[in-house]
Amino acid sequence: MSGETVSPFERNARTVLEQSVQRIDARTRSRLNQARHKALEAMSPQRPRWRSLTLMPAAGALAAAVLVAFVLWGRGPHGASPPAALDAQHAEDMELLTDNDSIDLMEGWDGSFYEWATSQSEGNVESNT
Amino acid sequence: MPEFATLASPYSMPAALHGDTDLTDPQEQTQARALNQFLAGVELKAFKIAQAALRHEDDALDAVQDAMLQLARAYAARPAEEWKPLFYRILENRIRDMQRRRTVRGRIMAWLPLRGGDDDDEEFDPLALAASNDPQPVRRLELDEAMEALEQALQRLPRRQQQAFLLRTLEGLDVAQTATAMGCSEGSVKTHYFRAVQALRAQLGELHT
Repeated sequence: MSGETVSPFERNARTVLEQSVQRIDARTRSRLNQARHKALEAMSPQRPRWRSLTLMPAAGALAAAVLVAFVLWGRGPHGASPPAALDAQHAEDMELLTDNDSIDLMEGWDGSFYEWATSQSEGNVESNT
Repeated sequence: MPEFATLASPYSMPAALHGDTDLTDPQEQTQARALNQFLAGVELKAFKIAQAALRHEDDALDAVQDAMLQLARAYAARPAEEWKPLFYRILENRIRDMQRRRTVRGRIMAWLPLRGGDDDDEEFDPLALAASNDPQPVRRLELDEAMEALEQALQRLPRRQQQAFLLRTLEGLDVAQTATAMGCSEGSVKTHYFRAVQALRAQLGELHT
């Protein structure tokens, strides 16, 4: 009400009301004091937990970004897939490993016989010519 | 007011202000201190206004506490200049809710058999007897009479007139702030206030203090 004309009645009424406020008993003051402190404690009751909750989406997004970057980097430069020849090589290796006949041959390996047979066949060719 | 200094001693500071909760953010610490100062400045007047409306000390205390809590929870981040009209708006809503509830309860109780001694079980509290800021006896007697006459006259006012008068005269809100607190136009505030002053003057004369 500052800057406004105040009648003597209003001025007196204010004086009386302010006096009545000053004379509020100690018990009520104490309870108001407690109420104020409760309100201030409620201002941010669990701020650290609240903060960690708000940071969770950001942390999740960062983790997802790192994962995507790792996958893209693993696939080679510029995101290119491995050459087709490499895939074929891998398939051939797998075929050898799973082929039972090849393994049987390897078990009965006689190196000297095969060397003799080769030399004989080369000799026959020379004699024919 | 000197009595606030004694109430707000470091031993009585809430956790938010002395380190149990979070003192890492200086901005929030400053905000908590500002809110504490604001609430300490309005709590007694707010109690008086609530008491005039509700005519019951415990209900008035509850209303003020609820208003404090809601302001702290929902509006602490708002600029400090907005706190006062917001606080009184919240308080007014709370008072209205309590009055409505009381009306409903009164209707229900009217159908039930009377039972007396509601206040008999209230515990004795020596603090209630402690006098505060006691003026000289003769002056006190005059003030007592003027206070009683004014409080009785205020009780007879319509609620909106009482509210406009107390917010303007006791809390010192301007017309715009009072309009915000009362949830009405500035014109309505002026009308309610003018009628309140007229009615009180008619009952009390010039109210000598």
